[in-house]
Amino acid sequence: MRKYLHVFSISLQNVLQRRASLLMDRVGGLAAFLAIYFFWSAVLGSKDAFLGYSRAQMLTYVLAMNLLRAFVFTGRGWELVNEISSGKISSYLLRPISYIGYTLSLDMAQKTVHLVSAVLEVAVLVYLVGAPVYVPQRAETWLLFAAATAASSLIFFLLEFMVSSLAFWTSQSGGPLFCFELFLQFAAGTFFPIDVLPAGLQAALRMTPFPYLVFFPINIFLERVSRGEAAKLLLIQGCWLAAIFLATRLVWARGLKSYAAEGG
Amino acid sequence: MTASLGKHFRVWRRMAWMSLGQQLSYGVGAAGFLLGKLIRLFFFFAYLVAIFKHTNSLAGYSLTDIAVFFLTFNLVDIVAQIFFRGIYSARRAVEDGDLDYYLIQPCSPLMRMAATMVDFLDIVTVLPVLGLLAATWHRLPAVGVWHAAAYVLLILNGLAIAFSIHVLVAGIAVRTQELENTIWIYRDLMFLGRFPIDIYAAPLRWTLVLLVPIGVMTSFPSQALLGTLSLGWACYAIALAAAALGASLWFWRRSIDQYTSVSS
Repeated sequence: MRKYLHVFSISLQNVLQRRASLLMDRVGGLAAFLAIYFFWSAVLGSKDAFLGYSRAQMLTYVLAMNLLRAFVFTGRGWELVNEISSGKISSYLLRPISYIGYTLSLDMAQKTVHLVSAVLEVAVLVYLVGAPVYVPQRAETWLLFAAATAASSLIFFLLEFMVSSLAFWTSQSGGPLFCFELFLQFAAGTFFPIDVLPAGLQAALRMTPFPYLVFFPINIFLERVSRGEAAKLLLIQGCWLAAIFLATRLVWARGLKSYAAEGG
Repeated sequence: MTASLGKHFRVWRRMAWMSLGQQLSYGVGAAGFLLGKLIRLFFFFAYLVAIFKHTNSLAGYSLTDIAVFFLTFNLVDIVAQIFFRGIYSARRAVEDGDLDYYLIQPCSPLMRMAATMVDFLDIVTVLPVLGLLAATWHRLPAVGVWHAAAYVLLILNGLAIAFSIHVLVAGIAVRTQELENTIWIYRDLMFLGRFPIDIYAAPLRWTLVLLVPIGVMTSFPSQALLGTLSLGWACYAIALAAAALGASLWFWRRSIDQYTSVSS
């Protein structure tokens, strides 16, 4: 465990040292955040509620969305594709370290920095525009939300890891990864809550792991689900996490068998 | 002049065919990128339509109006990507010495750099945008000839501003061998152009009109089509594009004059 903590620590320093890259990443996220925030603000207009969300709940959805985008959707998929395609991964495979654990440590360092930055962005926006913030009424909601967020972050990490592992079989896995990441953002409710979609499409999405990345965790935070429902959602999320973990391990093991270390 | 234009067109066409060949040989990757672009377009559009099932207007705009803004943004953004995508490789062209090679060729090094990559995936992506735009146009109340002419003119104007930004970035790449950050700030900020600039808070709205003219590029054409843009603002947009073109081309020429070959 200590070696993974060291990797986390070194990666944290690395991310903080490359401040220009971090700043650029955040500017990108900030533009989308501002656009979506003002969009929903305009949709709400003078309405007190929309689609069963109170004004504070809907705008808090957008604020929480920025936090979850930073903590869940920050990943190293493209670096992984590059490391496999270039053969650079060979040097990691020879080391007494689990590559998935190593990547997760790097990932968590990035996510931590991005989350702190996103919290600051949200605080500044709330201060500047006086955005109404929904604060959970029940103390346990914070715990449930934290658990759901941690699980959603792991689900995204594993999904991205699995799709990036396609690089073992093709040098063109960048395209599928690009497609997957975009689809995921919309299917997860990152820009718009999935409640706005027609019932059939909503039902179809609810049968996938994607809404468990953003939509359900935020709904738990906004207390739009009861304690019992929140616990049930966490249980289903846990099942998805376990299933995706096994699938990722399987794909990774098969990928390693077909890995020919081109360029490495 | 005509002969020079003809020669440059032939060079561009040749480079475009080479890009097409390159993209076709990257089948799986290209399919993934194309699908991702289409997912982004259709999901975003579908969400907008779905939201209007629950409300009649957004900041005073109807669904048809919002669709015009969104599709016009896509049109300007995608067409700019088709023609200026090669600028993204400006830093690499400088570092690898390709710019030295372009400079001894009997055609504009700027055009040569821009033509390095003609993105045919974007050509495919722009087709559904045009189709949706045509369908949306038919739902608008009768559009006057002057409004339609102003719309087309301001789209071309938006493309001229996009071109200026790309030329500026190419100039920065030649001078500093830095590119990614500058171009990605532009790409990220373009997200704000998906919606009418009227929805944003005043400081942000003015920034998008005066400092980072994304609003002029993407919102002004739609406002002209809907008849909500004053003549004064239309004149401002054209003057801005002329000034941006002049300044960016001057900066590019200065950058090339002072270029001393980085890689050789």
